[in-house]
Amino acid sequence: MSRQAQPPEDEHRADPGSGPPRLATRLLEGVLPPTDRGAAILGDLHEEFEARARKDERAARRWYVVEAIGIGVRYGRRTRRNRRGAAALGAPQGHDRSWEGMVDTLFTNVRYAVRRLTRSPMFTLVAVLSLGIGIGANTAMFSLVNAAIIRDMGFAEPERLVDVYEGTDDFTHGTLSYPDYLDFVEGSRDVFEAVTVSRFAVVQADTEDGVETLFGAGVTGEFFDLLGIDAARGRLLGEEDDVAPGAHPVVVLGHDYWSSRYAADPDIVGRQVRLRGRPYAVIGVTPEGFTGSVRGFAPALYVPVMMVDELMGSTGNSLESRGSQSYFGTARLRDGATFAQAEAAAERVTATLRERHPRTWTPDKEFVLERTEDVIMNPMIDRFVVPAAGMIMTVVGLVLLIACANLASFLLARAADRRKEIAVRLAVGARRRTLVAQLLTETVILAGVGGALGIVIATQGLDLLLAADLPLPFPITLDLSLDRTVLAFSALVSLGAGVLFGLAPALQSTNPDVAPALRDESAGGGRARGASLRNALVVGQVAVSVVLLVGAGLFLRSLDASRRLDPGFGGTPTALVQLVTPGDRYTREEALVYQRTLRERVAALPGVQSVGVIDNIHLDPLNTQTVRVQVDGIDPPPGQDFHGVDYAVIDEHLLEALDIPLVEGRGIEALDVADGEPVALVNQEFVHRFLPEGGAVGREVRLNGDPVRVVGVTADHKVRGLGEAPRPFVYRPIRQSFSPYGWVAARTGGEAERLVLDVIAEARALDPDIMVTQAKTMRRHLAVMLLGRELGAMVVGGFALLALLLASIGLYGTVSYAVARRAREVGIRLSLGADVGSVIRMLTGSGMRLVATGGAIGVLAAAAAAQLLSRLLYGVPPLDLPTFLVVPVVVGLVAFMASWVPARRVARIDPVGALRSE
Amino acid sequence: MAKGSHLGDLVELVLLAVRRLGEVEADGASVRAVLSDRGDRRVSVSTVYVTLMRLEEKGYARSWKGEPNARRGGKARRLYAVTPEGMEILEHVRTVRERMWAPASEVARG
Repeated sequence: MSRQAQPPEDEHRADPGSGPPRLATRLLEGVLPPTDRGAAILGDLHEEFEARARKDERAARRWYVVEAIGIGVRYGRRTRRNRRGAAALGAPQGHDRSWEGMVDTLFTNVRYAVRRLTRSPMFTLVAVLSLGIGIGANTAMFSLVNAAIIRDMGFAEPERLVDVYEGTDDFTHGTLSYPDYLDFVEGSRDVFEAVTVSRFAVVQADTEDGVETLFGAGVTGEFFDLLGIDAARGRLLGEEDDVAPGAHPVVVLGHDYWSSRYAADPDIVGRQVRLRGRPYAVIGVTPEGFTGSVRGFAPALYVPVMMVDELMGSTGNSLESRGSQSYFGTARLRDGATFAQAEAAAERVTATLRERHPRTWTPDKEFVLERTEDVIMNPMIDRFVVPAAGMIMTVVGLVLLIACANLASFLLARAADRRKEIAVRLAVGARRRTLVAQLLTETVILAGVGGALGIVIATQGLDLLLAADLPLPFPITLDLSLDRTVLAFSALVSLGAGVLFGLAPALQSTNPDVAPALRDESAGGGRARGASLRNALVVGQVAVSVVLLVGAGLFLRSLDASRRLDPGFGGTPTALVQLVTPGDRYTREEALVYQRTLRERVAALPGVQSVGVIDNIHLDPLNTQTVRVQVDGIDPPPGQDFHGVDYAVIDEHLLEALDIPLVEGRGIEALDVADGEPVALVNQEFVHRFLPEGGAVGREVRLNGDPVRVVGVTADHKVRGLGEAPRPFVYRPIRQSFSPYGWVAARTGGEAERLVLDVIAEARALDPDIMVTQAKTMRRHLAVMLLGRELGAMVVGGFALLALLLASIGLYGTVSYAVARRAREVGIRLSLGADVGSVIRMLTGSGMRLVATGGAIGVLAAAAAAQLLSRLLYGVPPLDLPTFLVVPVVVGLVAFMASWVPARRVARIDPVGALRSE
Repeated sequence: MAKGSHLGDLVELVLLAVRRLGEVEADGASVRAVLSDRGDRRVSVSTVYVTLMRLEEKGYARSWKGEPNARRGGKARRLYAVTPEGMEILEHVRTVRERMWAPASEVARG
């Protein structure tokens, strides 16, 4: 690299694309001083680059970049060092406007902030923890809401999708029957490109060691095409797979099931799986992230709808029955067709069906359409899901608010401590903007670290939640992974918290009215400007805590009231096992024999007190069934010619097994056989409603049009929900009104959990292929009914306690700070003979005045908020006196501790030292 | 003697290089070349300039703007020369070194 090797001018490279790397040159131009010296360095580099490039261009570029970075580090640091002294004081700087000037300033601010934060680790720790908890709570709950409500379902052109329901006055958005679906397709061809239905199917799959029960979906051939879903492997179901019942043993695996059960075997397509003993060819796998058409229910596998009856072992043919309404309908609008046109088409089909099938298509029944994008799960469920989600997000939002108030409060205290420093800096000409930027950098860093901690807390919390064994009535699958939406949410919340709650303290502490600070009022015990804002924050925190605690109290009281409700059955340990005797393998008589034999074998198990069979267990949130009841002299509801009444089919032992008392007449007997007189039991509410003149036993009523004699009356029990008013109920004997679905209910003096397994073992011993669709203890079955309230009480209660904790920290901080600031005043008082007790009382009292104000505001706000909650409460008035009395007392006690503990520290103040210190 | 009667090793070499190049006009690149050829030291451009800057700050070197040149991307070069103070310190360092090398008897005599 001798200078003599310089090329002549004419050999200068003409190639415009080369030359030194441009980015590195930009960096150099940024860091080098815009002087001759800077230019000289650039020139030297350029010259040597050219010389080197002639030998090896790549090596030359590498060299240039290394040199540029070296210069960047050295000159950047060198020029910064000169400027930093001034910058730290906030002095005006010449370089500020440029890009590199801003980066430089940011660098300085960050270093300055980090240094200050590490210098007071206690403050930093508490602030980061507060924010972490607040942001974590928000992130966790938002992940839930995101997974349950917001996340994209992955459908193509979702704006053209329409959900199709059958609605009645009572049940506004029900599923379709298959024949109704076919009629709907026929009558709406002009507006819909295609219509599909899907249904849930409980499928029994053979494994190496027995069978597993899977939650699958039966779909029509249009399903995947209509939703715009492409296969991750193989192909998805098409119309050729959906032609004739029982003729298409093919299956598409859901991505998650494929991953977990088959370890994402790349060669899965073409393999066979055995479903209910029949081999099915795997033709494909759904794409990752697709979880079916109904939110929250991710099918493990998809089979043609034509195969569902066979897979479920149904007796009848659900594809031909208008009464079998289990199909979720989705349709895709033709290009250019409007939703209004679709609704008009639906009305036309409704009119046709009412005319053709007046028995099933009553005057209040109609097709109901909703835009798929407007529906979360089902409009009837959404009515509860959306307010619940809103409530939870409000609760965690309030927790975050309290955490942020803590942060702001601490910052104000620190700002007050730095008043002198800031005043000096302002006085020497520091720009306020610069100071505010420095202070904000600090809070944004705090918020950033808090946000990161929050994400960790959220993932841990959600893992815990997923691991919890909730008594869910069906497998809910929510993908709670942190996707981009959730992370963006957390980042936004963190940044917002940092800026919003850092701004006020930053502005306040840099208020240019610096004279009082220079005079140093702080020693005199006068009110600092920050104090009133801090006090306001404490008042706000206490108020919000009270609101949250009242909410939690109301939920707890509501849960307590629900727990006290007697369902009217199942009070003793009982095992519940649901079996299906498939119609293609069992005749009616064989099924009855199977049930009776199983019942006898279970009854012989040790500890078992009583065993009965019922087709549809009470308080099952997923299944209700009604019978059309007509009673002479009782007018049916307007527009109908019958009453819909809940019913169940039972054997002669069921009432005893479930502990439902018979109050009049006789129960079901073994004599109540198919060719005997049709009989029924009714409950007291039925009598009250339909046979009020007494003498119910022996009366004849019509059930589904057929005359049936009432032979006995049972006590009332809950049917659909724990909080319901008494509902009429009808029991029919299993031998007269057969159902292949049967719950075996076995009451025991021992452990119900053990018995559940024993019942399954007995059932399989009798028939290894019997379909066990559900198995649980009675306790767990009933817990489903309380699940919502339990979760509500748990979530709101947990967050309310968190809020109280955060608010206490805030109050503690405020009072400690007041104690420290008023040390001199306290010193004077003590040296003038005031006793420590009175000084403690004075300091605690000032804290408690804030608490009292906040408490009063909180109680008023809680009273208003409780009205909004009233729909979610059971058995407790919104203005529940005990709750409204206990909460303020609890808050008062906690607040007293939080202000008394730091106030007590005045006792340690040395009066002389405190007086001398200033 | 000036207050800082001591030079770092590299600083001394750079100043010596400038002195040596004095007649031919010393710039950053030629100083690096001399350092490499005669001084057996390979240093980066930034090191040379930082050193030159320090020498200027201490008053041991002065610099002026040269002519712009297309081969240098249109940038002017910066030329350096040793100031009388610089010469003084170089001489001083040299004397110290020689004194250190001299046999013990000479030192005692001096």
